[in-house]
Amino acid sequence: MCSPASLARLAVIVTILACTPALRPGVAIAQEGLQPLLQKYQAEIAKPSRTTVDRVLAALLRENRPGTSEFLRRWQDRGVYERPGDGFFFYAQEASGALHLIDIDSGVAVAEVTRREINQIRPNSGVRGVIAAALAPFELNAPEPARRQAALDAIARSGDADQIVPLADSIDHEPDAVLKRRKERLLVLLTAQFGTPQSARLTAISDLAGDISIEARSVLNQLTARQAGVAIALPEGANIARVLEVGEDISGTEAYDRLVGAGLAPPRQSATDRREVLAQHIVDGAVGGVPLHQLDTDAARTRAYEALEAAGTVPARAAENEVARTVAAHVFYETYVQPDPEVTAAAEDALATTTRTLGLYQTLDLVLDGLSLASIFFLAAIGLAITFGVMGVINMAHGEFIMMGAYTGYVVQIFIPDYTFSLIVALPLAFAVTFGAGVTMERLVIRHLYTRPLETLLATFGISIALQQLAKNVFGTQARPLTAPDWLSGALTLNDIVSISNIRVAIFVLSLIFLALLLFILKRTRLGLEMRAVTQNPGMAASMGINPNRINMLTFGLGSGIAGIAGVAIGLYAQVTSEMGANYIVQSFMTVVVGGVGNVWGTLAGASLIGFLQKGIEWFNPSNTLAAQTYMILFIIMFIQFRPKGIVALKGRAAGD
Amino acid sequence: MTTLLEVSGISVTFDGFRAINNLSIQIAEPELRAVIGPNGAGKTTFMDIVTGKTRPDEGRVIWGEKSVSLLGMSESQIARAGIGRKFQKPTVFETQTVRENLAMALHNKRGPFDVLFYRRSKAAAARVAELAEEIGLLDALSRRAGELSHGQKQWLEIGMLLAQDPRLLLVDEPAAGMTPAEREHTTDILKRAAETRAVVVIEHDMEFVRRLGCKVTVLHEGSVLAEGSLDHVTRNQQVIDVYLGR
Amino acid sequence: MSEPEIAPRKRFLAENPSALRFIGCLALFTLGVTVLSEGFGLAFLSTSMVKILGMTLCLCLIAVAMDVVWGYCGILSLGHFAFFGLGGYAIGMWLMYARTEGIVVQSLAAAPIPPTPTEIENAIATQIFGVVGSNELPFVWGFAHSLPLQLLLVLLVPGLLALIFGWLAFRSRVTGVYLSILTQAMTLALSLYLFQNDTGLRGNNGLSGLQNIPGLLHLSQSTLAIWFFWASALALGLGYLLFAWLVSGKFGSVIRAIRDNEARVRFLGYDVERYKLVIFTLTAVVSAIAGALYYPQAGIINPAEIAPIASIYLAVWVAIGGRGRLYGAVIGAAAVSLSSSWFTGGGAPSINLGFYTILWTDWWLVLLGLGFVAVTLFFPRGIGGLFDYLVRKP
Repeated sequence: MCSPASLARLAVIVTILACTPALRPGVAIAQEGLQPLLQKYQAEIAKPSRTTVDRVLAALLRENRPGTSEFLRRWQDRGVYERPGDGFFFYAQEASGALHLIDIDSGVAVAEVTRREINQIRPNSGVRGVIAAALAPFELNAPEPARRQAALDAIARSGDADQIVPLADSIDHEPDAVLKRRKERLLVLLTAQFGTPQSARLTAISDLAGDISIEARSVLNQLTARQAGVAIALPEGANIARVLEVGEDISGTEAYDRLVGAGLAPPRQSATDRREVLAQHIVDGAVGGVPLHQLDTDAARTRAYEALEAAGTVPARAAENEVARTVAAHVFYETYVQPDPEVTAAAEDALATTTRTLGLYQTLDLVLDGLSLASIFFLAAIGLAITFGVMGVINMAHGEFIMMGAYTGYVVQIFIPDYTFSLIVALPLAFAVTFGAGVTMERLVIRHLYTRPLETLLATFGISIALQQLAKNVFGTQARPLTAPDWLSGALTLNDIVSISNIRVAIFVLSLIFLALLLFILKRTRLGLEMRAVTQNPGMAASMGINPNRINMLTFGLGSGIAGIAGVAIGLYAQVTSEMGANYIVQSFMTVVVGGVGNVWGTLAGASLIGFLQKGIEWFNPSNTLAAQTYMILFIIMFIQFRPKGIVALKGRAAGD
Repeated sequence: MTTLLEVSGISVTFDGFRAINNLSIQIAEPELRAVIGPNGAGKTTFMDIVTGKTRPDEGRVIWGEKSVSLLGMSESQIARAGIGRKFQKPTVFETQTVRENLAMALHNKRGPFDVLFYRRSKAAAARVAELAEEIGLLDALSRRAGELSHGQKQWLEIGMLLAQDPRLLLVDEPAAGMTPAEREHTTDILKRAAETRAVVVIEHDMEFVRRLGCKVTVLHEGSVLAEGSLDHVTRNQQVIDVYLGR
Repeated sequence: MSEPEIAPRKRFLAENPSALRFIGCLALFTLGVTVLSEGFGLAFLSTSMVKILGMTLCLCLIAVAMDVVWGYCGILSLGHFAFFGLGGYAIGMWLMYARTEGIVVQSLAAAPIPPTPTEIENAIATQIFGVVGSNELPFVWGFAHSLPLQLLLVLLVPGLLALIFGWLAFRSRVTGVYLSILTQAMTLALSLYLFQNDTGLRGNNGLSGLQNIPGLLHLSQSTLAIWFFWASALALGLGYLLFAWLVSGKFGSVIRAIRDNEARVRFLGYDVERYKLVIFTLTAVVSAIAGALYYPQAGIINPAEIAPIASIYLAVWVAIGGRGRLYGAVIGAAAVSLSSSWFTGGGAPSINLGFYTILWTDWWLVLLGLGFVAVTLFFPRGIGGLFDYLVRKP
């Protein structure tokens, strides 16, 4: 029985024989081995560079002596050594501090040397890329999947027409399903670019329609690449993409500049040039008879220049009507770089389909982004919504509770190195810490201010700045890491466009859990019932035997505790700093206000609106998130004009006051 | 006697609860009218609608000789049109003096710049003093309204109402929390006011209504149950059933 | 009718002795600083100290405006620093333009041919906007060449912004904490807008070199400092009198009534929204004037100055000083801002506890925050209230 390895080796040899120039009858299989051929290009191999490597590779592949692919692979991997004395090349094997030199042709060890006595050949990364591309056809059938993978990567990076045949041939022998699919795809891509005959190429191009991968799109973009052109008449036989209408598709100035660029018209004189020219012709404190001190207007300078023109001292400038005439006498157009009109037409069609699909996926991605942002806002704001809604208390320190939760997570990670376990500990601990802080604050401060809501705002602001500075004093000003466990650090990827990081998915899930939990607490538990009673009519609730003090305390604790958990979640994907809470507080307020106070669904609606809106605006102007935030706030200000009580408003007489 | 306020066919719903149901009332000028009815009959909501605080779902509220609709107007426009209101709970500006409270209510131009460049006149000061005397607070002019007793606050609010010089006064439970002597005084003030203008009084206390001696409208579940003299309505079997009988 | 007890009409200042006292104190203070200053007197006060005092007077002015809008009218605006900043930007544009123009004209004077107006403008634009990668003068700088026009903008831009914002907000009856959050959102939007490089105000670089006053470059900074100090004192004095007059008469009575129960005021026939709008806009304009005087002394303005936290601090000053009394706002602003710069500037001595050293640069904000909580809880009338308590007649 043959071992699988030897079978694979056999396959390599068969493939090399089948698909390389060795089949050409004129070239006999060389008897003298690889080394002499290598010696012919000794200098280029020993010191390879981008400029010389192509010539060497062409020669090696033309001759294709046995062991060429092995040599190329080793050369690429820095596994080839040069003996300084005679310049011969060897492979080498490491053995107890020394190197066994191995003859390239025979594969036997010939000598043992130290590293000092021999030069390792180190091609730079550019050269290695070129070698990899040349090696690709050989490697496509290599026994190790990793090598085949590398070969495919090399083809994907720099494909050319020669690779089509070996690639096509290798597909049938490919045992690995994933690699096989990749090969088939690469084949389509290569055929679309370089394939013959035309029909095969057109089929390949239409196969690419709707393919949103970056490589497919770049192939289509290459095929439809355009070049601007200008001429007296449209060139015969060129693959014209479109003819530009001066004044509509291209401005007159631009058109003239193109003429100048193509050398079809003299350049226009700029104001700077004219000043230079005038300065060179100052005679007795005047230029062209115009005194220097008058030359501070454009009109005077024109007069002076015209005087110089009339005297013949300077060349005439292109007059404005001349410019218009020259432009009108030419036709401006765009040609495809690709000469074949059928190919470009097919590529344009395919690209249009791809663009549509792309739009669809981008929308999906946008929706996912919006959802993720909305869930972050929801998490950050829901605690605030509870305290604001039930107690009418504006808690400016809410952001600092978020920060506290995040720092709790950080401290837990210091003591528990296992990230998963520390996260499991941190979540309830953050809740406990901020719950405690919230209850303390309620008992010490807020309790005394229930009748003065605006002053609660200010007092909690005082607490907020104190807490922020305290955090700075304890943890320093630099950001602290809150590392996510490995299973959270990846991303869910659907394709090149749509992907979402696991942390954001986790935050989304977390906010769903909180939504469910809060709805449960509010609708199904005694505490929730009492909370709702206090929200709607505190006086009546008190007379029904509900202790509003206790309810307020618990409500505040609950709201703060949720802020703590939100802090851990936010800390996982953003950085933990003493100012992180402040970044969320205004957004959280707006979420609550837009959504409508005292209602979980309202907060959800507010968070969704703000999250999606922000992402939507960012999509229009992706480079400028500041502008997106500005417009979003303006939108919110306008929104409150029309729904002062938010999306989900409390109704009835109680809500009126 | 001409019709000053005509409310016809108004209804309003809060969260499915029909607070006012096809209510129609006409008030003439001058007239003194008492509106009575059990809790939740829609008395206060009726006032809210007339003064613009609540918008009805349907119906019309027509005002004055020119028959203007009050529904499109804001609270302050309605007030300037000549409707004054006194709330159930006395609402005076407690941090300000009685004089300031009255001066603010005096019938003058209400625009910010009119007020900014307003110059105190002898006539206005005299009017303030006159009103203060009528409500028995002449000695308390410089005291803060917050320091007054409950009954005095009620009077101060009535005084502010009179200072506005409205054509229609809507008075919500003016005698609540007053001693019998104070009640009598209040009745006198209202009766005197009603000589020249329309006064609508919401009241629970039958004795007080009897002393007013005027036409009575009984509201029940948001609409008019009976209307006429007090004796007339108290003989009405329906009224006895829903209200007096309890 | 018996002759009623009528309060006789007196002159405004005679009726408001506290305003008179304040003006007196301010005049004494101004005189004292002038005598002690480096520019005019005995040089006990360094120029930077005079500048800090002048800036403090501007902060007092905006605090007085804040007191009127919040303490008297009950609108807790968390956005008045936006108007302050806009005033600073408006004057800063002229300062920067005119100064750059001077430099550019001087440098172009050596050229063989005198520059055209367009060339000068382009050179100025490159000089000012090179830092944000632009060489064109944005259209908002259209009036920057003219001091009178730009001074007009100091009043108009914040005034119009306040008018439009206030009209929208008050019309839809946004009140209480909702209004506070809305004003905060306005400030945030404005500062984010200014942070962008392409909005024509140099992004986060802001405007700088504002301490150099074009046309007065021959004067030393110590002279300029005292001049600006006088201007700030004058503005504070006039602003204080304006607001004292405003809140003392019937208008004051109406706006305090709005603060206490705006629904009731409506039923008295007053158009509450219009009153709020007048107060909001007027205080915005005064804030802008304060800002226009502040930033030439500070020398630099950037969007961070407008961040929401600045406006909250403003509310803190007024609350600590005691709202509802104008001198309280002045005391609060002066006390808090001066002690802030003393503590954070390293002026306060560290306290060595043996095991830990309290550095005030680190702990001042903690102290301020907690102190603020204490004031809100225990002295809701602030320092001014303490005054009342002390001088109350037995």
